[in-house]
Formats: sequence, structure tokens, C-alpha cells
Amino acid sequence: MTTSKKNMNCEDYKEALAADPSASSEGGAEHVATCEFCAAFQVEMQSLDVKIAKALAIDVPDLKLPELSEIEDDNVVNLPFRGKRAYSTPAWIGIAATVVLAAFIGVRMIDLDPGSGLPLSDEVLAHFDHTPRALEVTNVAVSEERLSRVVNSSIGTMDRNVGLVTYAQSCVINGKTIPHLVIQGEKGPITLLLMPEEMIDGAMTLDGEGVIGVIIPMGNGSIAIIGERDEPLAEIEQRIINSVEWSI
Amino acid sequence: MNSNNVGRERHRRFDRVVSVFHTDMYRYAAWLCRNPSIAEEVVQEALLRAWKSLDALRDDNAAKPWLLTIVRRENARYFERKRLETVDIDNLSPAQSAMLAQADDSELNELREAIYRLDDDYREPLVLQVLMGHSTREIAELMGIQQGAVLTRLHRARIKLKGEVEKEDAK
Repeated sequence: MTTSKKNMNCEDYKEALAADPSASSEGGAEHVATCEFCAAFQVEMQSLDVKIAKALAIDVPDLKLPELSEIEDDNVVNLPFRGKRAYSTPAWIGIAATVVLAAFIGVRMIDLDPGSGLPLSDEVLAHFDHTPRALEVTNVAVSEERLSRVVNSSIGTMDRNVGLVTYAQSCVINGKTIPHLVIQGEKGPITLLLMPEEMIDGAMTLDGEGVIGVIIPMGNGSIAIIGERDEPLAEIEQRIINSVEWSI
Repeated sequence: MNSNNVGRERHRRFDRVVSVFHTDMYRYAAWLCRNPSIAEEVVQEALLRAWKSLDALRDDNAAKPWLLTIVRRENARYFERKRLETVDIDNLSPAQSAMLAQADDSELNELREAIYRLDDDYREPLVLQVLMGHSTREIAELMGIQQGAVLTRLHRARIKLKGEVEKEDAK
């Protein structure tokens, strides 16, 4: 870790050092050069870390590889077909998109039995189809009160800099109530499903015509992100990971 | 490339990734669950899951955090399934005792016990930082918490261990 914190006092320095004795910081180097107590503390903490590293390096038994079966690639899930939409005139296209999606859903109603045992990707896709109102293009943010109710303390916290949140609803995925949010991206609405209890082993790509998505692991949970095909989702992924913290 | 070649290449890739990191996987699991026998089971399950989702690993350079994330989840699944009671330091299994008393150096064994007694929230980031070489940002991502929280936990963990070491030295 490097920090640019200058003019550290003893307390700041010790706190930073105890969090990472190998860290270098401009302000820290200046401080320790003029403070013999902190210089001694630095030596002490670095010596402690050497001992901690030795203590943690326990013996490892001979581990046998489990029998590995042949695997089909099941990490890419196809989204249902969607025609490509343009969002150059947000207000009227938003309404049009809603109508088109409502018609689409009329012929594609899916049994959303909570906890039905469907794979997570299927649950996510089914839910995505089931909530057309969420996909309106708008610049009207949901109220702070509503957002706090949906992303409540039992779920976690979310930095409000994540983007313009225009839809927030508590929904059910795999029998668990989770926040369903929509933020406005560069190319259109981006759906976020925050699933603090849905563990996955690796990122899962959702790929369809007109839209792309990903379910990314985060801590003991995961987050689904679905947007327009040309939306720069990689940047958004990182922003969302940095903005969300689970309580569970 | 025919399917046999694809399969062989997949095996080779998996072996390459696992052979480098299986030691880290085991040690991480052992410090997470504080039980060498359970750690072996967790690692076995994690390896199976890693094999099944190998294609989700887009970059082999990112294999280590990817594998450790799988170990972490597998450990959580294990304890969810078994609903094990909290480990009591005074009532250890022979395997657990052996894990804590591996070194001839009693000071080192005492420090190992002190680490063992740390709360999970403190022990895990310490293992990830000191043993696995993760940055605080990487730890935050893996644990699903803010980087500030990681720094606080690491600071508290070291201050606790420093106190324990000083207590032992004073005896």
C-alpha cells in the first residue's frame, strides 16, 4: 500500500504501520526519520510480521487431486432475444421500450416460484424479464428514503456515487429478498441485482442479442449486472464492487 | 482443435494453476476453519469447483485470488452444512493441537496459538496479507468489505498479537 499522506503524527503513523508494516508512505518516511519512538515501533512491527509469517506457514500434507470429470462449458448463459434499442431521445424511447417489453413478457411468463431450485443465472434472467418498468430511461432518481428501504442495513451499504439510481425495489431471487436497482448507464438502463447470500465460484457471463450481463462474485454473495451490449460494463463492475459492502 | 485435445489442454491448465497454489489453498483453508482435517476436505471441494468453473478464470495471472475465493466459499458452505460449533481452544482435536505445535520453537507455537484465538474477522485479513501477499484492496474485494475496514482489522489484529507476545515475554 502507498499513501500520499504527509505530515503524519505518531498516532497516524502507528495506525498505518500496524495495518501494513511493509507499506511505504511519503509522510510516514518523513515522520519516522524524525521520531525515534516510531522508528522503534517500525522495527518492532516488522519483526512481529516476520514471526507472524513463520507462524502462519504451517506444514502442508500431501494433497490428492479429486477425480476430475469432463466438463461442458456451462458458464455462459444465453439471455432471451432482445432487439437492439437506441437511447438518443430518452423520454419517448423509454416509454416505447416499456411497451415492447411488456408485450414480450406477455408471451414469456415464467413461473417464479421462490426458492424453486433454478440455477441462479436462470433466476436472474427470469427476474430480468419480469420487471419491464425497471427499464425506463429516465433522469429521475428514486428518493433517498426508498433507496435506504430497499438497500437496508440487513443487506449492506451502497455508496450513492454508484450512479443515478432510477429504480429500487425489493425482489425475491432464490427465495431471498434482495435489492433490484437500475442505474442509468451511457447506453441505457443497467440492472443490478444485489445478492448477498448467493455465492458463486466465478464470474458468469450472460450473453444475448442487444444486451450483455455478468454475475460477479463478491464476498459471500454476488451481483448481477445487465446492460446494453455496447455498455462498458467492465468499468461499471469495478465501480459497483467498490460501492457495495454486505452486512451479512 | 478436437475435443480430446481441448480436454487435455484443460487438464494441463488446471494442473499448472493448482500445482502453484495448492499450498496457499490449504494454508488459507486451515486458518479459516482452524482444523487441518476440515481444511483438507474444503480444499478437495474447492478443487472440484475450480475444475468445473475453470473457464470462468479469464486470466491465469489472476488464479491465486480466484482459487482463494473458491476456498473461502467452500469453507462457508462446509460450515453452513455442518453447523459446527465454535472451536474451543481448550478442547482441541489431536490434529488441531498438532497444527499449533508444529515448531520446535515455543515462542512461535505461542504466537500460532494467539493467531488461532483471533476473531475470524481479524485472522482472515492477516492471513491474506502476510501469508498470501494480498494488498488491502484485494483483501477488501475478496472479503466483500471496504478497504478501510480491512485496514482497521489488520491494525487491531497486529496490536492484539503484539500484546500477546509482550504478555508471553513478561512471563
